[in-house]
Amino acid sequence: MSQERDTMMGALAGFLGGLALSTAMQLQGTAGLLGLHALDLGPSLSLIVHGVHLLSAVVLGTGFGAIFRYQPNGYASIVSSGLLYGLLWWIAGPLTLKPFVLGQGPLWSLEEAVSIFPSLIGHLLYGGITALSFHAFTTLYLWVKPESQCATVSAEKSVKRIVILGGGFGGVSAAQHLGQLLARDSNVEITLVSQSNYLLFTPMLAEVASGGLEPQHISAPIRAVSPRTHFLRAEAEAIDTATQVVQVRTAASAPLTALAYHHLILALGAIPNYFSLPGVETNSFTLKTLQDATRLRNHVISLLESADIEPDADQRRRQLTFVVAGAGFAGTEMIVELFDFIHSSLHFYPHIRAGELRLVLVHAGDRILPELSADLGAYALQKLQARGIEFLLNARIAGAMHESVLLNDGRQIPTFTLVWTAGNQPHPLVKTLPCEHNKSGAVVTESTMQVKGFTNLWAVGDCAQIPDVLSEGKFHPPTAQHALREGRFVAENVAAALRGQPIRPFRFRTLGILVVLGRRTAVAEIRGRKFSGLFAWFLWRMIYLNKLPGLEKKVRVALDWVIELFFPRDIVLAADTTAPTLTPAMKAHRGRRPSRKSFEGKTAEERVE
Amino acid sequence: MNSRGSGFFKSGLVRGAIAGLFGGLVFGLALYKLGALPTIAGLVGTDDGKVGMVVHMIVAAIIGAGFGAFVWHQRAGIGETIFWGLTYGVLWWFLGPLTLMPLWLKGMLAWDIPAAQAAFPSLIGHLFYGVSTALAFVLLQPERRGAKPSVGALLRGALAGLLGAWWLGDMLNAQGQLRTLWTTVAAQSNLVAWMGLLLIGLLAGMAFALLYPRATDSSGASLIRGIVYGFIWWVVGALTLLPSLGGGGWAWSVEEVRASFGFFPGFLLFGVTLALSYHWLSVIVRVLFSDELVPRGEEGIGAEGLRALGRGALAGLFGGLVFTLVMIQIGFLSTVASLIGSTSSLAGLMVHLVIANLVGSSYGLLFRRQAYDIGSALGWGVSYGFFWWILGPLTLMPILLGTTPVWTVQVAASLLPGLIGHLAYGAVLGIVFYLMEARYNPWWIPHEHVDALRVERRKEQVLTSAPALWVFVVAIALIVPIVLGK
Repeated sequence: MSQERDTMMGALAGFLGGLALSTAMQLQGTAGLLGLHALDLGPSLSLIVHGVHLLSAVVLGTGFGAIFRYQPNGYASIVSSGLLYGLLWWIAGPLTLKPFVLGQGPLWSLEEAVSIFPSLIGHLLYGGITALSFHAFTTLYLWVKPESQCATVSAEKSVKRIVILGGGFGGVSAAQHLGQLLARDSNVEITLVSQSNYLLFTPMLAEVASGGLEPQHISAPIRAVSPRTHFLRAEAEAIDTATQVVQVRTAASAPLTALAYHHLILALGAIPNYFSLPGVETNSFTLKTLQDATRLRNHVISLLESADIEPDADQRRRQLTFVVAGAGFAGTEMIVELFDFIHSSLHFYPHIRAGELRLVLVHAGDRILPELSADLGAYALQKLQARGIEFLLNARIAGAMHESVLLNDGRQIPTFTLVWTAGNQPHPLVKTLPCEHNKSGAVVTESTMQVKGFTNLWAVGDCAQIPDVLSEGKFHPPTAQHALREGRFVAENVAAALRGQPIRPFRFRTLGILVVLGRRTAVAEIRGRKFSGLFAWFLWRMIYLNKLPGLEKKVRVALDWVIELFFPRDIVLAADTTAPTLTPAMKAHRGRRPSRKSFEGKTAEERVE
Repeated sequence: MNSRGSGFFKSGLVRGAIAGLFGGLVFGLALYKLGALPTIAGLVGTDDGKVGMVVHMIVAAIIGAGFGAFVWHQRAGIGETIFWGLTYGVLWWFLGPLTLMPLWLKGMLAWDIPAAQAAFPSLIGHLFYGVSTALAFVLLQPERRGAKPSVGALLRGALAGLLGAWWLGDMLNAQGQLRTLWTTVAAQSNLVAWMGLLLIGLLAGMAFALLYPRATDSSGASLIRGIVYGFIWWVVGALTLLPSLGGGGWAWSVEEVRASFGFFPGFLLFGVTLALSYHWLSVIVRVLFSDELVPRGEEGIGAEGLRALGRGALAGLFGGLVFTLVMIQIGFLSTVASLIGSTSSLAGLMVHLVIANLVGSSYGLLFRRQAYDIGSALGWGVSYGFFWWILGPLTLMPILLGTTPVWTVQVAASLLPGLIGHLAYGAVLGIVFYLMEARYNPWWIPHEHVDALRVERRKEQVLTSAPALWVFVVAIALIVPIVLGK
């Protein structure tokens, strides 16, 4: 509306400016302020020349109005814009285009500039007059028709709401790209609902758990990385697809808030699946959030502290045994990081001998890293075994107590530490949706990422089963690499759906898989090519550093890595709430060591709560 | 509305007219000295000097009232208003002696170089008129005077002025021009010349601090302000005070201006050095000693500065491509190639594009978040382009080639294509940079709010002297061919 108004007023003002210029031209006695006289049209055509002048003046004026727009009380500045506009057209027209048309090419020389100096003043005057009259006309127009101004302000906007549930890779990348795609569209509102206000860079989580990286360095605030999104820190509790409303709760004590949506993107991710094994959920650590990583790190350090002063050999063995369940990416990287961390910290604990340490990886399959090809898996197995990591293949965890782990063949591993990476399941909220689910509970989508049976319900990431159009019958795997692309793609599809354009199926082939094995070693499989050793490790670091959101975090992580080259890992026991304070302990046991029971036994139980 | 209307009448029109009378008096003295009053009397058909003065004063009052109306909505503050005065003065030079007066007297316009050259003294008179009208207008209104500078600001100004003067003296000395500036006075030794120049720097720096007690806006805005401020000192110092101290008249005629053209780039760079040093000193002081909150929307130089660098580099490339065509046409590329010791045009093109990139990056750093619409993008871009004409081909290029810069009329005339090219480059640079910046919202606020915020900041900027600065820099650029043209 105001664009049309400004364009029209610009044309009118341009006409006036052109008229003033025409008059000035006649007064000046030359017919060529715009430089057209040099075209040698002959005197009989002067009327046509004037016509062309006026026409171009109107066209330029229209452009002026459309580009510079009206601002209340801005007459002083619009005049300055007008003068600049006139100057540029002088440079573009008589100084550049005219010599081109005449076949001489622009020279921009002093002689040339001096010879067409009158037309410069003419252009400036034209620009100034056009600008001022543009302002005056628009002011007059608004004064005569004030309702035209109010109409644009008070007009009921039909805002389209897009709600994204989940702040992981899928959700955040969808929000970022929607923000970019719809930047100019003020009628769209994007809301992202997530329990944590940061995007966690999960591939580096194991390094946080082992103290190599600082927790904050691998996470970026969603508000910073996705600036055009309304962020809402809340938990989604219910989705009503019939009324198109999501119920969210911003705090445990807060009432439910209803969020209406036109399009809903589910990016809720996955939670650990314990397969109802007895004691596992309460006695194991997981690795999903920053808190998980910090808790695990503190737990390991406090075990080392206790083991260093523990006289009982069995108890020490228990304290120094670490079991990881599941040998996928997460489990393998976790045990490697634990290994590196413990071994590099041993010199702080003179009473612990390296031989007392036991790190066990329990895996249900017959080879580790099943996502990789067999030979790379074997390479990894051989590397890690050589370092002293124990592998129990074809074995399953059958249950866990706070001081031991049970295997399905009846064996028992005495330990205080079980890290569970052996199973994931989609977020429970998606199971409540009235749509098709696969057997693990993920929603089944079309290849466009629309949930089957819906046009405005979309799902990405670990909570969705998205068919892979490039290989029939397969689905996109639940990795960060895929989630990022899915998020970007769903953003394009949602934007297309809003604009009424056709939506497209998602096509993406895994670029590669990288697993870090610690000690400057990694294995990688990129587009079928296999890498291992130092080069693969270097690739891992470069690629993941590059993928970290934001330059600031990249710099921080790179610095952490550099520091790690020169200094030992930090064993500060931060925020350990379970250890008794020294003062009462010393009062109670004057001269004696604090007893084990009050120390470690309690720890495991309290932590898992 | 009513009270606002009467306020406009009283403090806008009436005070503007009174201020115009004061400006007219200053200008009238100059006209009297130049013997131009009879020409003005010609407007009413006589050649009596007294009648001329009366006519002149009446016109001055009317135009002054116009000035009052013009800046009525603008932000208060002496420094801001002065730039509007300057621009207003130039505007009336085009409208008066070149347009309306010849129209009235001879029935035709005087829009050509000879007429403009003949009216050159009047241009300088108009500048004085504009500045004194603006000064009087501000002094008449206590509410417009703005903050008083602190001692620290004055010291910073003095230091910045000394820095600027040192750089100017160094450049002039290298060209053997330092003493020329003072020949008319008494300086027979380099030492006296240096002392005199540093004194000018000190005065100019402290005056700058008086005009701008607080450095609030960006380095880029300070830089452009510096160009205009340097120009003022060229007019006041090199064209007016120094020649008259030496006992001669003012050097206002175009021949005399041409003779002292060597100081023109020098004084502009002096102004830029002064303004930038003042700005950066103030920023350092603010960062180290002030408890002020970080303004909302600042992301830190690491994040937003790098982004600005990248965008500036890309925008600079676009601008450079526009420029390339003409560079090929005039065969300037081989000169550029000599910077890396080559003569091939291809090498020249590469060097040229790299320079365009670097200048663009610096634009990005200095002017990030300063353009809120195409108008201000154009304004900053074109002004920055002009600055680089002075700094680049006229100054840095000879230095990089191992010779000293030669700021003479002949050299400047041969570089005029570069001037036009730099203006075009700046325009493209500014617009492309703006478009890239506008695509990305730097604020982590929902985007309707961002739009509102942008409108608000644009309004703020329009109220400062920024638009006046843009126009005036263009005017300076246009004065160059008038001075140089034969």
